[in-house]
Amino acid sequence: MKRSLFCCLSRGFFLFWVLIALFHPPSVASGKEAASGGKLNIYTVNYPLKYFAERIAGDHATVVFPAPADVDPAYWMPDAGTIADYQGADLILLNGANYAKWVKKVSLPRSRMVDTSAKFRSQYITAHEVTTHSHGPDGAHAHESLAFTTWLDFDFAARQAKAIAKALGRKKPKLRETFQMNYEALHKDLMALDGEIKAVVSKNSTLPLLASHPVYDYLSRRYGLNLRSVHWEPDEIPGTGQWIELQSILKHHPARWMIWEAEPFQESVKRLESMGVNSLVFNPCGNVPDNGDFLMVMRKNVDNLRLAF
Amino acid sequence: MIRIDSLIFHYPYGEFRLEIPEFTVAHGEKVAVIGPSGSGKTTLLNLIAGIMTPFRGIVRVQKRQVSELGDRERRNFRITTVGFVFQDFELLDYLDVLDNILHPYRITGALKLDKSVKRRAALLAEEMGIGDKLKRMADDLSHGEKQRAAICRALLPQPELILADEATGNLDPDNKNRIMDLLFRSIEAHEATLLAVTHDHELLNRFDRVIDFQDFGC
Amino acid sequence: MLDSFFIAWKYIGYNKAKTATLVACITLISFLPVALQLLLNESERQLMSRAVSTPLVVGAKGSALDLVMNTIYFGDQVPELITMAASARVGDTELALPIPLYVRFRARGNPVVGTTLDYFHFRGLKIQKGRQLALLGDCVLGATVAEALDLNPGGSLVSSPETLFDLAGVYPLKMKVVGVLEKSHTSDDLAVFVDIKTTWVIQGLGHGHKDVTRLKDPTLVLKRSKSNVAATAKLYHFTEITQSNMNDFHFHGNLEGYPITAVIALPYDEKSGTILRGRYLSEKETEQIIRPADVIEGLLQNIFRIKNVLDAVISVVVLATVMAIILVFALSIRLRQREIKTIFKLGCSRLTIVRLVAAEILTIVMASGVLCAGMVFLVNLFANDLVRMLFIR
Repeated sequence: MKRSLFCCLSRGFFLFWVLIALFHPPSVASGKEAASGGKLNIYTVNYPLKYFAERIAGDHATVVFPAPADVDPAYWMPDAGTIADYQGADLILLNGANYAKWVKKVSLPRSRMVDTSAKFRSQYITAHEVTTHSHGPDGAHAHESLAFTTWLDFDFAARQAKAIAKALGRKKPKLRETFQMNYEALHKDLMALDGEIKAVVSKNSTLPLLASHPVYDYLSRRYGLNLRSVHWEPDEIPGTGQWIELQSILKHHPARWMIWEAEPFQESVKRLESMGVNSLVFNPCGNVPDNGDFLMVMRKNVDNLRLAF
Repeated sequence: MIRIDSLIFHYPYGEFRLEIPEFTVAHGEKVAVIGPSGSGKTTLLNLIAGIMTPFRGIVRVQKRQVSELGDRERRNFRITTVGFVFQDFELLDYLDVLDNILHPYRITGALKLDKSVKRRAALLAEEMGIGDKLKRMADDLSHGEKQRAAICRALLPQPELILADEATGNLDPDNKNRIMDLLFRSIEAHEATLLAVTHDHELLNRFDRVIDFQDFGC
Repeated sequence: MLDSFFIAWKYIGYNKAKTATLVACITLISFLPVALQLLLNESERQLMSRAVSTPLVVGAKGSALDLVMNTIYFGDQVPELITMAASARVGDTELALPIPLYVRFRARGNPVVGTTLDYFHFRGLKIQKGRQLALLGDCVLGATVAEALDLNPGGSLVSSPETLFDLAGVYPLKMKVVGVLEKSHTSDDLAVFVDIKTTWVIQGLGHGHKDVTRLKDPTLVLKRSKSNVAATAKLYHFTEITQSNMNDFHFHGNLEGYPITAVIALPYDEKSGTILRGRYLSEKETEQIIRPADVIEGLLQNIFRIKNVLDAVISVVVLATVMAIILVFALSIRLRQREIKTIFKLGCSRLTIVRLVAAEILTIVMASGVLCAGMVFLVNLFANDLVRMLFIR
């Protein structure tokens, strides 16, 4: 009796350890593999990059752009919690050209940062309308004078999308082909936009135009727009000085259309019309649009631009 | 108790020579040995105790021919049969009184130290009037107390023979008499034999017999 | 035999000063060579493990040892500076991940290590309290620094000026302690980690002040043009980066020209590492790429040569001490001749006398042995920290 009980116990003990060995819970490493086998966690600094990443990654990534909808992402400052979320991301997509001012003031893992415009950084545009400062007679200027809406040059946009596809491919080599395919589809859409604007502008390439804010440098350069900028906000009525400045500009630059970032106040529109200047909206779409997506907004922008030509 | 016949002793080097044709001490006898310094009195005690061996002659103690015993046997004989009392007490400063008394039991395997021995040691110390000083360090005692402790050490193994070499040499007159009284009383109580070397003529009348070394022509 | 130990114990206890001196001598001559060997072994282990775990370091041409000691152990000697362009150069090769380091400044005696978040992942450093670096001006403390300075998340630490009297030089920045690292038993425990941009703020290359373009005080403006406003030296620079003035902090010039002390390059594989090293072979190169393990191995060779000399010296000292101890025991036996004669007379054998003396020697040696073992155990326990305190920093 005792012997059989002993045998049962020892067999049970042995079986217990065999079961443990077979159904050992996954190690941290294998757990990590499972996580990495899952969706990538991508954070971006503006909406266009979010759109590009979503188009390219598809279901293989969760793309987050956490800035509130009512702020300009270029001047937004995330809180510590959001910074921690960025730090934990698999990829952090940066626009480049000193777009997100906050990036220089926070700590992010460089190994996971992707400067999507690094390949064409030699073609950045210096923004002359910004007043810089320096210290002492020969001090270096504060580096705030780069134009940063690079995606409005749809060729640049395509190159930024390519940088995203490459970064995704490095993270998930097995899905490189999928990402490439998705990128090519996006590239086609962006080039279509590029062609459309070229076609619109070619009708009258020297047409003088006004921009309510200096955010159209890349658009202007790419498509050869004859564009002069003022510093107006769509949600502010321009002051007397600003109207005077406009009149002074119109003397040498007889524009008939002003391009706004967003729907301006009717009062501003009416006063401009009284001066013979019409208004159209070309939304840079730095943040998430109220309706539609990036492509839809850009197509609408092109339609609006068509009005001027 | 002791019998010496035709003993001749001399050191390998030097001129000292001891010749004793005949020497006896009866059991229970208290014998004093006197003589000039350097005459060989201490040497006699050493020969009887088996510490030294004669060049010629026989030394017999309790029918054992000590002079013919081997080194180990002489040591065992010494520790079990002989009790030594020295002029300079020869207590160990780093032991307390009790440990000094028990010392012979710790330096040889021939004597077994157990509780009964420790009890006897305490009783002996009581008899000697130092029962309350057992835990005192030896060098904290007066000369008289030290000699009493030394006598306890000598008597504890219940030897048959006590050899005292100038036992009162370093004591004042009061202590001398007291020590001698205690020694004699203890020897009588333990039915031991006493052979004492002394220079103190005032104590000679206490002994049963006095032997003058000059009689041996030394 | 027990009786012999009993008597020996009593003798030893009675002669406390002599016993203590003998025990101290024997303990020291046993402990010193063992402790030295332990510390050297630990030094070797620490130096090598840290060096081996750092595959490649890029720095200015010059002393490779200074570069390695500053980069890996945050040593005091600051090597010649390079720029962030060196880090970008490594990154652009797509052969290795660059981790720039700027180890130049100190905060209450502790090295301020400017780096990126990749460093923490590379060294496997984890946050024990608080959070990771997030904002400019944040600092994360090594475990030992936090303990020594009694700082926790929420506290603050001011960087030390480089020189006391250079008014135009590096001036203190009050940094916010946001986290404390788990103990790693490496030099990282003794460092104050900040984002590399924060070190540039400490240096004054980045700073914060009121909007210069809107200044009304004419004494603050040196020259005003349409595109630029030059401010005077009177303009007050913030000494602390807070939530309210964060947006006022900025950098002048191109960040790629900003200084760093080294770049740790983590090759993606062995082949990439070899190719990368090949790119720095030109004689016209102003930068060097080194394998820390090679540099430290060279250093250890020199240390072991010195150790051999030390061993010889210690051996002579040990021999002299042993001879002195033997003399002490011999003299002790001589002093106890009378006691020996007495116990011999009482019936003690010569072997027992030898046993008594041997018991005394053995007791002293055992006591020394126990003390020595205890001290060696303590040295072993704290070897890690001792080595860093004595040799590496």
